[in-house]
Amino acid sequence: MTEKDFWRKSTVAVIGAGNWGTVLAHLVSKNCNEVRFWTREEESARSMNATRSNPKYAQDLQLGGNVRAYNDPARVFEGGIQAVIWALPSKACRSQARELAHLFQGDEVILHATKGVEDGSLKRVSVILREELPAARIGVISGPNLADEVARGEPAATVVASAFEEVVEAGCALLTNEMFRVYPHTDVVGVEWAGVLKNVLAIAAGALDALKLGWNARSALISRGLAEMVRFGTFLGAQESTFLGLAGVGDLLATCSSPLSRNYRVGFALGEGRKLEQVLEELGSTAEGVRTCQSVWEFARKRDIYMPITEGVYELLQGQRTVQQMLHHLMTRPIPHA
Amino acid sequence: MTEFEVAPDIRNAALWRFEENRGQILADVVDRTYQDVLEQTGQKPLDLPLLEALYAERQRLRRFKANVFTRERKKRDQIFWNGTQARLIRSPGEVDRRGVLRKVLEHYLEEIGGHFNPGVYSLATHALPVGFNWMLNAASAGTLNPWRQKAQLQSKLRIVGEVPMLEGLAKKGTILLVPTHQSNLDSVLIGYVIHLMNLPPFAYGAGLNLFSNPLLSFFMSRLGAYTVDRNKTNEIYKSALKHYSTRILRQGVHSIFFPGGGRSRSGAIEQKVKLGLLGTALEAQTLNLREGRPNPNVYVVPMVTSYHFVLEAASLIDDYLLEQGKHRFIAQEDESWQVRKVLGFFWKFFATESSVTVRIGKPMDVFGNLVDEDGNSLGPNGTLINPCKWLTTRGEVRPDAARDREYTRELGQKVVERFHLDNTVLSSHAVAFALFEALRKHYPDLDLYRFMRLLQPQRTLAYGEFLQEAESLHRRLIELSEAGRLHLSDELQTSDVRAWVQDGIRNLGIFHDKPVVKVEQDTIFTEDMSILYYYRNRLAGYGLSLKGDRNDRKGFLA
Repeated sequence: MTEKDFWRKSTVAVIGAGNWGTVLAHLVSKNCNEVRFWTREEESARSMNATRSNPKYAQDLQLGGNVRAYNDPARVFEGGIQAVIWALPSKACRSQARELAHLFQGDEVILHATKGVEDGSLKRVSVILREELPAARIGVISGPNLADEVARGEPAATVVASAFEEVVEAGCALLTNEMFRVYPHTDVVGVEWAGVLKNVLAIAAGALDALKLGWNARSALISRGLAEMVRFGTFLGAQESTFLGLAGVGDLLATCSSPLSRNYRVGFALGEGRKLEQVLEELGSTAEGVRTCQSVWEFARKRDIYMPITEGVYELLQGQRTVQQMLHHLMTRPIPHA
Repeated sequence: MTEFEVAPDIRNAALWRFEENRGQILADVVDRTYQDVLEQTGQKPLDLPLLEALYAERQRLRRFKANVFTRERKKRDQIFWNGTQARLIRSPGEVDRRGVLRKVLEHYLEEIGGHFNPGVYSLATHALPVGFNWMLNAASAGTLNPWRQKAQLQSKLRIVGEVPMLEGLAKKGTILLVPTHQSNLDSVLIGYVIHLMNLPPFAYGAGLNLFSNPLLSFFMSRLGAYTVDRNKTNEIYKSALKHYSTRILRQGVHSIFFPGGGRSRSGAIEQKVKLGLLGTALEAQTLNLREGRPNPNVYVVPMVTSYHFVLEAASLIDDYLLEQGKHRFIAQEDESWQVRKVLGFFWKFFATESSVTVRIGKPMDVFGNLVDEDGNSLGPNGTLINPCKWLTTRGEVRPDAARDREYTRELGQKVVERFHLDNTVLSSHAVAFALFEALRKHYPDLDLYRFMRLLQPQRTLAYGEFLQEAESLHRRLIELSEAGRLHLSDELQTSDVRAWVQDGIRNLGIFHDKPVVKVEQDTIFTEDMSILYYYRNRLAGYGLSLKGDRNDRKGFLA
């Protein structure tokens, strides 16, 4: 049996019925036999099975007939499944993995689509899953993929990375279609950290836009921000080239340019002079960059990794500086030696 | 050898059954390797791997300095490779390359394949300890009175850790023992430890250079040792060695590899391990499971030896410093066993209080997961892992090169991690570390090489200052041991700093020509910086070093 055939006949579980999870379930359903969608709320599962769409997220997306929602996780794993798409917010990853651990058989391929790290420990999501689940074959999906655009069927591309070749193969086989391209990669550290660090820069981009600055300022921010990402990533063992690809600069451009991104919206509101607590309350959902920024900045400072923009965002979030002050500080600091 | 009674459990040992079928098994390994090389070569001409092997062998033989014991073997090899060259010069139509490959493999496997002779095994395990014990008693009590022979060798050897578990698992599956490697004496020690633990004999890979000593060669080649020649770097040889190792593990023969490759040059616990042979554990288990064999599991059991004294410390650390400094190429020396030195070592060893601690670490499965007494693999959050599932790819238990490479890399990391966790810190290691680090505080800007060249007055400290450093190190060691990150020897489990420090100073490198550490009139100093560094390194890898070099920018081992 070839790989393609195997995955075509497979059953895939999607853990996490958020926006991106719903879109991923839709993508995968075209390339496998059955998708089992896990959601915590019974009502939500029932409604999804009745209307063939997620009542909360990506409402316009019509899910295929082979997608079924469950609120009992045991039913999702019943009879064995071949792949798990993990799309929970990073804060929930460890506790959910603990809760679901006993359902895993060990032969599943696990692909997570969570962009975030654990507060404090700075552990990547794939590390958390490896620590909590009795399964080893784990990979990551990451790239410039604004969920709503993918849901509308607009062309997009992403990266699937794992140290295990078969995980990458599974990701390619399950996600690829004529409007969605998947690039294989092995640098898990780089791909995961790129997806985390760009959130911090998106806050800065939003803040700049609130000041109604032009393209020059934004481009300077993005390229100098990318340099910070590379410095931080390579310190942790990532490859520099990863940051030049879809998961790095690709995702950075999408997140810093789209008003859809939550982190960008936080930055924009702060740029308008509003208070962080108020902004977060209005947003209603998490903005990963806000939580990540402090951990990243503390880690970098202790190890002498030069990250002036991250420092600026950190001070902005703490309310220590206004956007104007941050900008002034960044523009007038000495040019570092190459 | 018939005067020694052969115990029935040795007759039943897998290694003995292996010996009975040796010819067939070697032929099987030739077949498997042959298929493997053909597969690896694919569409490319078979000349490529053969020429690579020929070229590498020619280089090796040119460098190889034969002595009186190895001259014969060198000659044999030269004749063989001359013949191979002659055949490869002729066209593939005239000489079938597959035939040449087979001949090369047969040549290699005859060298690799070990023998096992139960008579010799009995002799070695019964007679040698008697000799050891005799020496022990003669040296320590100055008498040969047989009634005082109770001061057994065992008292010099503290075997701690998961001994009962290892004994239990040896009946449920095949053991792959992976020890740390510091000294050439490790092999002797491990052989004896295995005997003391009531385990059947183990097969182990021994460096070809050790076989050049006829006495050692006699014993080793009959005690299940197979030869590993680290100078043979060509793919055909490496493949043959791996298939041989896989095969003996599948035969249920417990085996030993030193995963670090050679002895630790720096004195530190292995920071990384070689994956080639380690991966054969996983391959053996996969094939066992596929064929539905009984007791298919292979268990990887770390073993950490702690010495106050390493015979070769001086030459090892010199090698290390030169290699790191890249000042010049290091010619590989065939460090032979100087009988006088070894005997002198044993004599002194028995005459003093000094002892060796051997800790059997927590057993793991072939992926690096810990296992319980019944041999079940333990997953996180109270789950059990079914190895079959981890070896299933696309719905079937099968070998998969890419997957298995990654599993083995993870196993290698786990072995390194376990080595550190299962390490027993001795008082002498702590003394060396404390003195070295206290000195460094005086010269924070020096890199390793300048630091090593400090003059005697510069490497002298007030005893009080040293004691303070020792005390703070001790506190951190206790913290680490309470957190389960290492073990402390009995001597270190005291609140009396002066007591363990004295014990450490007395034992540190106890048999070197000059003492490593000396105390004189309220000062403490070292006679030999390199050797101090060597013993100090046993505590590298725990982040105990100066705060400033978390990233080890100055090239010390942090």
